[in-house]
Amino acid sequence: MVTKKIELNIKVNNKDYKLLVSPNKRLLDVLREDLGLNGVKEGCGIGECGACTIVMNGKNICSCMVLAGQAEGAEIITIEGLTGPEGELHPLQEAFMETGAVQCGFCTPGMILSSLVLLRNNPSPTKEEIRAAISGNFCRCTGYQQIIEAVQLAAEKMRKGGVKVNG
Amino acid sequence: MQDFNFIKPTNLEEVSSLLINYKDKARLIAGGTDLIIALREERLPSNLEIIIDISHLKELDYIREEGGYLRIGSGATHVEIAQNELIKRYAPLLSQAASLIGSPQIRNRGSIAGNIVTASPAADAVPALIVLDSRLVIRKGQEKREELLQKVFVGPYKVNLKSDELVEEIYFKKLPQKAKSDFSKLVRRNAVDKSRVNLAVVAQQNEDKKVIDIKISAGSITPLPQRFKEAEDLLLGEIPTANLIQKTGEKVAEEMMVKSGYRWSTEYKEPVVKSLMVRALNRVLEVE
Repeated sequence: MVTKKIELNIKVNNKDYKLLVSPNKRLLDVLREDLGLNGVKEGCGIGECGACTIVMNGKNICSCMVLAGQAEGAEIITIEGLTGPEGELHPLQEAFMETGAVQCGFCTPGMILSSLVLLRNNPSPTKEEIRAAISGNFCRCTGYQQIIEAVQLAAEKMRKGGVKVNG
Repeated sequence: MQDFNFIKPTNLEEVSSLLINYKDKARLIAGGTDLIIALREERLPSNLEIIIDISHLKELDYIREEGGYLRIGSGATHVEIAQNELIKRYAPLLSQAASLIGSPQIRNRGSIAGNIVTASPAADAVPALIVLDSRLVIRKGQEKREELLQKVFVGPYKVNLKSDELVEEIYFKKLPQKAKSDFSKLVRRNAVDKSRVNLAVVAQQNEDKKVIDIKISAGSITPLPQRFKEAEDLLLGEIPTANLIQKTGEKVAEEMMVKSGYRWSTEYKEPVVKSLMVRALNRVLEVE
């Protein structure tokens, strides 16, 4: 069957893109292959592990579970979009380093983006609320305790510093 | 990944006419949480030509109250259903069920109609919708027909919708104020897991504590979603006692074995289904 490439207009990390992509690409593939955003990881590829989590139109979603064309017109944030113009880290990124919440790092981008959505809606989450918010993100090495501490620390930093959460 | 062309129609009318033109060469995509896996595993028929996106259609994304009914657009996502105030008030078990599906990421994308038409025996929204006596509004072109939800399931992962039809709406009567409802599920881990057992119950008692309405459904334990009528009949018209609740739990487990046969998991599931059922009934019924 002859397939026709589709035009895709998306805003990723505050930059507009007009792309021509194969219809059977997933958003994950577009972000990694077409835009080189390798912070978006592919883990299970079936929507269970959360490594490919991105923020799309304000919601955390698995980019492996979205066909490229479904993202038409969407505003997307990946881990690369959290860093400031001078390379300064986001409080979530700082907190993950400070609490030792990163070991192999494969789950970290997804963890941070799920946490970002949480903190945007709830600046002072309880441990339980953090656990629920990252329940779709698997970590197989560090363990969740340090990650939960990191989100708490980031929340504190952001409340104190009056940091506006991106996106 | 299988090959296909991708179409993003601007309205429902366009979707309906594409389905009529392409029939079984077309598939709809909403949340994509099941379909994309099937496409990647190349499990869809090889005559597949187009995937029609409906995930962005506002026409299918609503939850509203109309007279005594709640009407849910087929594209409403699990998170929308879980958090909706009307559903929390008039069908709390559906809100509970939706809030337990998959993970936050899956709930942000997956749609209620997707949960239905995928027809997984483990679907969480389905038993809840069944005890609410839900009906589907099914559209073909400009025509619409209605079907009792239970009637669309013809086998595991099989529904009797035609390839040119689509589910436009799910609706049910609001639960009466005095009715109680409950949804519970058993999983191996707390998040991102398929239900091993899920139970949905709606019950109402009169002033004398006599049961005047009882509906029981379950997922993952029978090949097709169903009501457990024999178990319901034990309670209907009676004032529940601890003993009667035990018997009702046993009856549900018994019906499961009749429908599913003796399987490798039965030794575990039989006592577990019984006691989960007893617990659920104790949450919704006042017992003598």
